[in-house]
Order: sequence, then structure tokens, then C-alpha cells
Amino acid sequence: MDFPILSVVIVLPVAGAAAVALVPRTRPQLVLPVAVAVSALPLGAAGWLLWQFESGVADFQFVEQHGLSGAWGVSYHIGVDGISLLLVALTALLFPISLLASTSITERVKAYAISMLLLEAGILGVFLSLDLIVFFVFWEVMLVPMYFIIGLWGGERRVYAALKFFLFTAFGSALLLAGILWLGVSNGTFDFMALLGKGIPRTAQFWLFGAFALSFGIKVPIFPFHTWLPDAHVEAPTAGSVILAGILLKLGAYGLIRFNLTLFPEASVDLVPVLAVLAVIGIVYGAVVAIAQSDIKRLVAYSSVSHLGFVVLGIFALTTQGLQGGVLQMVNHGLTTGALFLLVGMLYERRHTRQMAEFGGLAAVMPLYAGAFLFIALASIGLPGLNGFVGEFLVLLGSFLSLRWYAAVAVLGVVLAAVYLLWAYQRVFTGPLAVEENKGLADLGFREIALLAPIVLLVLFLGLYPKPALDRIEPSVGVILDRIEHATDYQVPEYGIEADLDAHVHVGAEP
Amino acid sequence: MMGDLSFVAVAPEVAITSAVVLLLMVEVSMHPRPWVWGLVAGAGAASATALAGWQWYWLSQAGNDAGTSFHGMIALDGFGALAGLVMFPLVGFGLMGSWRLAVKQGRRGAEFITLALLAAAGGHLMAASANLIMLFVSLEVFSISLYVLVGFTRDRVDADEAALKYFLLGAFASAVFLYGVALVFASTGSTSIYGAGGIAAYLRRMALFRPALLLVGIALLLVGLAFKVSAAPFHVWAPDVYQGAPSGITGFVAAAAKVAGFAALARVLIAGLGWQINDWAPAVAAIAAVSAVVGTLFAIVQEDVKRMLAYSSVAHAGFILSAFLVAMDADGVLNVGDATGAMWFYVATYAIQVMGAFTVVAVVAGDAEGRAPLDRFNGLGRRSPWLAAAMTFMLLAMAGIPVTAGFVGKVAVFSIAVEAGYLWLVIVALVVTVAGLFFYLRVIVRMYMEEPDGEPEVARAGLGAQAVLVLASAATLVLGVYPWPLLRVLRGDATLLVEALRRAVL
Repeated sequence: MDFPILSVVIVLPVAGAAAVALVPRTRPQLVLPVAVAVSALPLGAAGWLLWQFESGVADFQFVEQHGLSGAWGVSYHIGVDGISLLLVALTALLFPISLLASTSITERVKAYAISMLLLEAGILGVFLSLDLIVFFVFWEVMLVPMYFIIGLWGGERRVYAALKFFLFTAFGSALLLAGILWLGVSNGTFDFMALLGKGIPRTAQFWLFGAFALSFGIKVPIFPFHTWLPDAHVEAPTAGSVILAGILLKLGAYGLIRFNLTLFPEASVDLVPVLAVLAVIGIVYGAVVAIAQSDIKRLVAYSSVSHLGFVVLGIFALTTQGLQGGVLQMVNHGLTTGALFLLVGMLYERRHTRQMAEFGGLAAVMPLYAGAFLFIALASIGLPGLNGFVGEFLVLLGSFLSLRWYAAVAVLGVVLAAVYLLWAYQRVFTGPLAVEENKGLADLGFREIALLAPIVLLVLFLGLYPKPALDRIEPSVGVILDRIEHATDYQVPEYGIEADLDAHVHVGAEP
Repeated sequence: MMGDLSFVAVAPEVAITSAVVLLLMVEVSMHPRPWVWGLVAGAGAASATALAGWQWYWLSQAGNDAGTSFHGMIALDGFGALAGLVMFPLVGFGLMGSWRLAVKQGRRGAEFITLALLAAAGGHLMAASANLIMLFVSLEVFSISLYVLVGFTRDRVDADEAALKYFLLGAFASAVFLYGVALVFASTGSTSIYGAGGIAAYLRRMALFRPALLLVGIALLLVGLAFKVSAAPFHVWAPDVYQGAPSGITGFVAAAAKVAGFAALARVLIAGLGWQINDWAPAVAAIAAVSAVVGTLFAIVQEDVKRMLAYSSVAHAGFILSAFLVAMDADGVLNVGDATGAMWFYVATYAIQVMGAFTVVAVVAGDAEGRAPLDRFNGLGRRSPWLAAAMTFMLLAMAGIPVTAGFVGKVAVFSIAVEAGYLWLVIVALVVTVAGLFFYLRVIVRMYMEEPDGEPEVARAGLGAQAVLVLASAATLVLGVYPWPLLRVLRGDATLLVEALRRAVL
């Protein structure tokens, strides 16, 4: 049997958590270095995975399957395809970075590091599992450490924010579990690959699509289920916000692609307008609300609602470009928003405020910091040459083919992103250095540069040469679209061919 | 071969009652030190457990069929043996957890232990009764022991109140149950749950003639047993009794009532009245839904951890009841194995969680005390990190978070209801589960996110309580991560556990 690299990827953070637990109580200063060191191991494994992954292959790779239950149809089945590959790599990258950024955590460091590592294991498990029960287990397990990270080490209203986060997500999970149980019990298996072979009745598809989409939509979050997000992001500690925005939100979008599109193709095609409308509302609404924020962390939080709207629009454009762009945009958003939260956190550690009115003219005292902020902000806005451009361009291109008018409105989001981010930049970094306390602020230190450098490099790399990433996404996306074309009358529109979303209505006319 | 008076069927009860008699005689004549009580009680519980295990093994041997003894009164089958394997360790651990409480009672400590042992014997007999009269008698043995245990700390008024309330309402429920027995007897001509000439056989034979009297009888049996498992709307005793009972023994009272009650309910409803499932299943589903909703809603507003756990146990009763909604396959055969397997998994793991949670409550709020206000848990994470960690794990298990046995149990019982077509009930239950997170998390918030008021006292668990907590946590974790072997055994892949029931139904 091949080396079980994927299991190793999932188990490494758990083993790391055990290692952290063994750090003697008398040496609390060792906890974070140990945690960073152990979290580098999954990163190494993910790097190896990236290296070994065969590009241009649509099937799941490095698959492991062990029957667990026999008659219950549950098996430990994991595998990776082009979509999950990039998200796994993103997860493995962001965790060491956020642990390294957690030096301001001084109380109960050990519990904090353990929570972070267990959270990492849960997230990796969600991306890799190919069995619905195993998926759900990882999905739920992840909630608990995240709850504690927000609730124990968060800001002033942490208890409220943590509870809200937990209950919103758990409500979605309840419907998800009901859907999974129905699916598994009626088909006799919970295995994702096996379920692909079973025909799910059309009516059932709609209900199941609804249950799954609601659960994933709360996580994404799709408007109007986004209200937990600003609270959770703002109250979470910096590292928590990085993980929440950078990775946790992607879990919802990933679920939509992996399960909704693949298992319920007919419902997906029919419900495109609903999801597209909500996505576009999210894009515009998130951006408008972001403009109105005075707290810079809240601003970044609302910008996530807008950016994730692009991801959802790309997914439900049901075109190769749209889906590809959606997946890439998930990675891009993880990098840029993660970096933005890191930057905001650094500022907060220096000044203990996030009100933009308290700042102004910081570029004079913190030139490096200002440069990094501008760079990331531009990437987030979608400046050509940086990663955000590639993703958003593909999403808009793809959705223009099938959802022309939605795409036209969504473009507004790009413009508004420039407004809120550049305006924020202007308010914080330009103008006179008016406030006395700001005059002595230190610029980025070595550790902080080390935190941002890998993200900056990746932003540049994906912006200039996205081909390696796109090559890996494309076959996996192609399989999903092929399935949809096969199961319905829907034709994936290509350049030069007019989209006809209504085509599937004439199913009965076929001989 | 098994004679009609085979003592194999009652071997565990013989062990327990021997221990009880020995304990009482030694206590009266020699006034020994408390460790002697522990020795006798431990030996009784351990040997009863071993004998239940031996029953299981005996039944698995070729030529030893499941059957009944004492003129069809007591069943000897996998179901009963399994109940023993749950009930007797439970009383052992219950006594370990409440050891300090027993010792505090001075000379009366021996009585305290005796009553717990007798309750376990009665509870196991409930699960092993093959006749409604026998079931009633064991129900009384079980219940009366519990009434006394609840009121054992006589100096506390709320304990007296709790005991009296439990006794009066319990007696009323017993009367209702007995009335049900009478009506079922009147309409079927038998009090035997199954077997030749029993209720099941009658129902099968008289497929077309079902007197209304029978339905009333079934309803009354259902009510009587629903009271025991604290299913809504027959749950009103639970919060007061949980709160009034000395915290040290509340865990055992709560867990044992669930184990014995659900075992008896399964035997009566599925084995005895399985032919009538289309009549009682809607009622059970309604009780399940009402319990889940009422239990959760009331638990949310409680300010006392014991009351909260009482209402949560009402909700759990609802969840467990969903395993009774057995699906029928194409040949009209009830899928009994899956259903009782799921029920047993849930009941056994829930019993473990309840024991664990109440053990922590007893340590934190005082084991002879009744009340356990939420405030007492403020800052427990700092004062007693291990206790807080154990409590957190138990609460997460009850909330049904994965990697705990609670999650596996929920998936198991809800799968049964989904298969039987009760998707609405499962959706209600799952939504309610989410609302339930709120009150479990509330305790966790108190433990980790609030500072203690005033003088922070360090709560320390005794050795017995520590052992219970370690074992409960370990079992909850192991069964949450790798439940398959146990599930396979409980489901009984057409083995001895199910055989008796399946045959009874057919």
C-alpha cells in the first residue's frame, strides 16, 4: 500500500497538539515556538503533496479507504483533487503564520496552541474526506476549538460572538446532518463516490440541496446568513480572524462545489438564479457596508462578505471559467484577507484601537507597514498582476457567459472594493500625522516581515503565473461540469456559444 | 438445556441480593469500617456483572437457546444479559462516585449502599421480565429503592420534598401501568409479553380483531413507562427530584432510570406489542417530539445545573424514543436488531455521560447538597482544570458533538427514525439539539470565561469520583472514535440479542 500521506496530513496537527500538551508547565515561553514548529510539519507534508500531485488528472489522488462499519456504509475514505489540494495547501500555510502571529496571547497559551492545532486537523479533515459521515464529524469537531478561540482569547464581546458563531453554524449542521442521514439511509451508503453512482430523485434533490446549501451558505456566508460573521471576526483574536476569514469561510464554498453541485446536479441547475441573486446581493451589500465602517477590522470583515459573493457567483455560473475562478478566488481571498487581518492585528497591538479616525499619516512613521498594506489592499481590489485580478477576472468572465446581468452588477463590487480599501488606506496612512501617540509607532519588525513575506510572494506569484494552480483546478472542475451536463440538459456555455439556462426545462422532450 | 426453574436467568440478582443480605447482617452484627461495605458492595456488583457476562457467553454457546424461566416470568436472552452488563457496572461506578456521601451517612451508609444495589437488581429484572406482572414487581423494587435514595439526606427539606414528590407521582404512574396491564390482560387473555399464549402470539393470531380496550391498555402501559424514563409530558417530577436528591447519587438515579425504563419499554413495545406498531408508533413519535422540544426549551432557562441536566434528560428521552420507530422491511419483518442496538448504544453511553456529569456536580456543589446553582461553576476551569475538562467533555458528548459517543448515539437512533420514514421527527430533534447546545455551552462559559465570585474554593474529587470521571471520559472518547465493534455486537447481526425479540415479533 502506498504511503498514507493524507492521513499523515490530518494526524500531524493532532500529534503536534499532544506535543504541545507535553511542554512543562514551568516553561510557558516554549509553548508557541513548539506549536509553530509542529505546525510546520503539515506544511511540509502539504508541500510534498503539491509536488507529488499529478497535474491534469481529474480523479481523486492519494485515496485511502478503510471500511469502518460494514453494514452501516460508513468508511474512512479520504482523497484529494485539484480543488481540495489548493485549499489544503492554504490551510497548512496559514496555520504556522497565525501561530507565529499569536505572541500577544499571554494567558493559557498552551490551551490556545492546542485549540489551534486541533482546529487545523479538523479543517484538513473536512477538505480531504470523501465519506459524508466522516466529513460531518470533521465539520462539527472544528466548531469546538474555534468556539474556544473566539470565546476565551477574543475581544470584549467575545462570549456573545462565540455563542452566535457556534449556534449559527450548528443550526446549519443540524439540517446538514438530517440531509446526510436521509441520503445515507436511503442509499445504504455514506460514501461520496458510491453516492455519485446512485440516482437521487429529483424532488429529493431539491430538499437535500436546500439542507446542504443552507448549512454551507451560513458558513460562506451567503447573504442573508452573514450576520454572525462581523461579530465573530471582530471579536476573535488576530490569529482567529485569519483562520476564520482565510480558511473557515472556504469550507462552505468548498461544500457547495463538492456536494451540492456534484450530488444534486438537477437542483443545482434549477436553483442557479436563487444562489446568483444572493451572491450578487452579498457582493454589493458587503461592499457598501464595508464603506460605512469606522473600525478597520469590521471593514475587512464585511469585505469578506463581498469577496465570498464572488466565489459563490463563480461557482453557480456553472462554467469552467467561473468555477475555476471561484476556486482560485477562495485561495486568493484566504491569502489577502488573512494578510489584512494580520496587518490590522499588528496595528492593534501597537495602538490598542482599530478606529480609523485615530490614525492618519502613518506612512511617515511606518513606511514598510504602509507599503505592505497597500500591496495587499491592491491585491484584494484586483489590480492586474496580483492574484485577486486573476480570480475575479475569471469569475466575471465565467459568469458573463451564463449570467450576464448578474455579472454586470457584480462588477460594481470590484469598484466598491477600490473605494473602501483605498479610502481606508487614505484615512490611515496619508495626510498629516495628527495624533501624538502615533508618532512613536515602530515599523514592521523582523518577525512580522517573516509573517507577511510568504503571503506577499504568493500573491505576486499567483498574479503573474497562475497556470500551475489553474492546471490543477481545471480537470476537477471539468468533471463536475461534465456530471451536470450528463445529468441534465444544461450545456456549459463556451466562448461564442450563447448560454441557455432554460434548456434543461425541456428534459421530457428527449426521446 | 434449561429447566423452567433455571437459576441462570437470575444469577446476577442472586449475586446482588446475596451481597445485600451479607452487607446488612455484617453491619448489624459487627459494625465494620466503611471499607468493608465497599468490599461487599464491590464484590456484589462485580460478580453480578461477571454473571451477566457469563449469561451472554452461555447463550452464545451452541445448544443454549434464549428462553424464559420461572414459568415464563423471567427471560434469559441477550437483551437481558446486556441490560445486566450495563446496569451492574453502573451501580458499581455510582457507588464509587458517591462513596464519600455514603461514608458521611455514618451507620446509615450501609443502608444507602444496600438501596443502590437493590435498585440495580430491580432495574435489571425490569429489563429481563417476560411477563407484565413480573415487570410490575421489579418496577416497584426498582422505584421504591430510588425513592428512598432520593430522600436519604433527611435533614434537608428539599430532599424530603423531592422524595415525596417522586414517591407520589411514581406510585400514580405505577397504578396507571398496572391498569394498563389489566386492560391488556382483559383484551388478550395473557400477561406474558411473548411466548406461546402470550400477548404477541395473541396479536398475531387475531390480526383482525383488535378491541379498543387493547389500545387503551397499550396507551396506559406507555404512559407508565414514559414516566420512568421522564419523557414529556410525564416528566414533571424529574427537575425537582434531580435537584432535591443528594448530588452524589443523582447520577445513578438518573442513569439507572433511563437504562431500566428503556429496556422495559423496548421489551413491552417491540417484543410484546410489535404487531401493533402502527398503532403505537405515532404516539411514541409524538412523545419523542414533545420531549425533545419541551426538555430543551425548559433546560435553556434553568439557573441550576441539576435542573438543567434534568430537563436535558427529558430531551434525551425523546431522542432515544426515536429508536423505537422501527422500520418494517418488504416482508413485514421489523428491523428490530438495528433499533434495539441503536437504543442500547444511546442509553448506555448516555448513562455514562450522566454519571460523569453528576459526579462533577457532586464534587463542585457538595455531594450531600441538593442545589447546584450555575454560579458555583464560575471559574472552575482555573480552580480545578481537570474537573472542568471532564465536565466539558461530558457536556459536549450530551450535545452530540463528534468524537464523543454522544454523536454516534444520535446518528444511530436518528438513522432508525429516518429509515422508518419519520424524517420530520429527526429534523425536529436535530434543530432542538442545536438549541440544546446553548445550555450546555452556558455551563462551559461559566467554567472558563467567568471569574468566581468571592473566595475561589478549589473543588477536589475523591479517589472514587476521579476513577469514575477518568473511565467515563475514556469510554465516551473511545466509543466516539471507534464505536463499530460495540455497535456490531449490540446490533447483534441476527445473534442472540435479537433472536428472542425477532422470534417474539414473528
